[in-house]
Amino acid sequence: PADAPDAAQALARSAPAPVTDVARLCVCDLLVAQCDANCCCDPDCSADDFSLFTTCSVPVVTGDSQLCSQKAAVYSLDVEANPPERIFKLIDQVNPSIFCIHATNYKQALYLKSPEIPTPENFDRLLDKFGGATFSAEPDSWNLDTDTQNPPDANETYRYEYGVPVQTEDAFLRLPSPVVSSWCSDENPAGFLVNQATKCIRSLSVEKCDSIQALSMLFYINSSILAAVFQVNITVQSIVVQSLNGMRTLLNSSDVLRLPMVLDGLCINAVLGVNYHITHTDTGEIIEAAAAFVLGAISKEALSIEQSFKISFTQENTQPVPLSGNPGYVVGLPVRAGFRPQGYPSPAGFLFAALALSSNKHSQLTILQSTSTQDCLAAQGARAPVLFGYNMISGCKLRITAAMKCQPLAQTLLDVLKGQSFPEYVASFGNSQAQDVLDWVPITQLHISEQMTSNTLQSSCQIPVSLGIEVKWTKYGSLVNPQARIVNVTATITTTTLKQLPSGRERIIPIMSSVVFTDISSPAEPSYKAWPTINIKLPFDFFYPFV
Amino acid sequence: NSCQLSSLPLQILLYVNGVYYIFYFLATLAMVIYKSQVFSYPDDFLAPDLAVLFLMAILEVPRLYLGFKGNLTEAEAPLGLSLGLTVCSVVLCVYLLLWQTYVLWADVLLNAVLLSAYGLESGLKVTAIAAFVS
Repeated sequence: PADAPDAAQALARSAPAPVTDVARLCVCDLLVAQCDANCCCDPDCSADDFSLFTTCSVPVVTGDSQLCSQKAAVYSLDVEANPPERIFKLIDQVNPSIFCIHATNYKQALYLKSPEIPTPENFDRLLDKFGGATFSAEPDSWNLDTDTQNPPDANETYRYEYGVPVQTEDAFLRLPSPVVSSWCSDENPAGFLVNQATKCIRSLSVEKCDSIQALSMLFYINSSILAAVFQVNITVQSIVVQSLNGMRTLLNSSDVLRLPMVLDGLCINAVLGVNYHITHTDTGEIIEAAAAFVLGAISKEALSIEQSFKISFTQENTQPVPLSGNPGYVVGLPVRAGFRPQGYPSPAGFLFAALALSSNKHSQLTILQSTSTQDCLAAQGARAPVLFGYNMISGCKLRITAAMKCQPLAQTLLDVLKGQSFPEYVASFGNSQAQDVLDWVPITQLHISEQMTSNTLQSSCQIPVSLGIEVKWTKYGSLVNPQARIVNVTATITTTTLKQLPSGRERIIPIMSSVVFTDISSPAEPSYKAWPTINIKLPFDFFYPFV
Repeated sequence: NSCQLSSLPLQILLYVNGVYYIFYFLATLAMVIYKSQVFSYPDDFLAPDLAVLFLMAILEVPRLYLGFKGNLTEAEAPLGLSLGLTVCSVVLCVYLLLWQTYVLWADVLLNAVLLSAYGLESGLKVTAIAAFVS
């Protein structure tokens, strides 16, 4: 009949009636048609089930306790009886307070409001009110349109912490980056001390390229960064012009601002990449900001270009060296090492042999890297950096023939084990600077010779067969945030005698190198501040006339 | 006949009523404020309750004045007017007792005392009017 679907629709439109009868309300009844454990109000439980319960998880079910008198359902287990049985009592609970609610004429006072069920009539109104793509509004400080932002206070010093967005006059320093897809979004703020490099695609039309803001140099340098006492302007460090075929030329004068314009069907001076360098003090104040641009030409057919952005932070008066921890070493980052160059007296300062380049493997502590061929002589130069906290072992096999001379072989093996430039000093902390002499730990070199026979000590030569680096580190600093600090590094070369082989025979000996990190931290003792002592002393001339 | 017709019990009751009403008004207003903070008290329920309370306060002043005047001057007209105003006050008091949005136990006590005072007062006024008329 025609009534049934209408009735069903009407039923579906209204929410189910709320249950207010205390005797039928059960919060712990979660499983349908099954008995919930320790749920004394569950109607699906039988007397046998109740005898297995230990406690009642819901002892009392009441309405609003503000009412002067209300019904309460009390469930309890009678453990004295055999078998234990559930006791259900419906009692009147009385609120003795004089401000208890005697009666109320407002129905929704004591119950939660039933939500409005959407119907074809009120759907549009509800969608206007509650619909939207996001749940929370964007914070106001990210809105670029409003001019009434907190005006930069000249007296306030802006100290930044790690990760805090770098503030500029209008909003924040933008580093366009791909958000969901590869398209550029300009809302990505640059975080302080967060070195980022992003690449994203921007859509454009070459005819209107001089009006697209994101292609012009001005867009990236017009706002000044709020820092310290005054604002820091972003200077143009260098401009590199990239031609259509990809060739780049560095411009001599970087003072002239080159804005995009349409020339012969090409859009020239379009920004293809920006590299920000921000210099800061060790207290978190930004003192300098520079941007290096890559400008290029876009041909008429291009519908989109790829822009790349990079930002790096350098502390003033230091070389930008990648840190392995700040200050303690972070597990997994390479152990930093270096040399004291000849001619420099100790302790007048250290210099790295090759500064500031993490790609230069010679300035790190490295060990031999095992290769697939496992031949020591063939795999020259393959080295792996020693990562803090990771014990490593590697090796190769050496095939000794009768024709090999001992001395050159020993030298070759030493090169294989130690590498081309084995460092002399290892940084004690992850952020040790080259100028701080005391932050560097010298590598102790030991030689152990495996003696096969006691009398042949000097006559036959020794070839190194294993290098073991033992790094002793300790926990340093506060109890709640201990930092790893390298205390001692010992490189032990084990040598063995090379016995002369009869001609035509050959032998294979394994060569091994290992790195072991040992924690030698002593158990921490919490120390407490000393109790303040009362320091009462009489003045010097208190007993003046008599003493 | 020099015996006085003014009713002494009525005078005492009117005086006590005046003092009690000040306490009643302040207490009820404080409780309405408390209720609006602790419970959910939408504006279109709060407005009638406050209106009734203030209306009752406004009516109380002429009611008591007319009662005093009528009783002391032994005139039945002011006393009759006062009786009429008392009937209005009784209606408002019944509203606050039964049909307020939240009726607390303290509300019940205060309104019950006030209602009994009004009832006693009305009886005494009727006898006083009867005495004055005859």
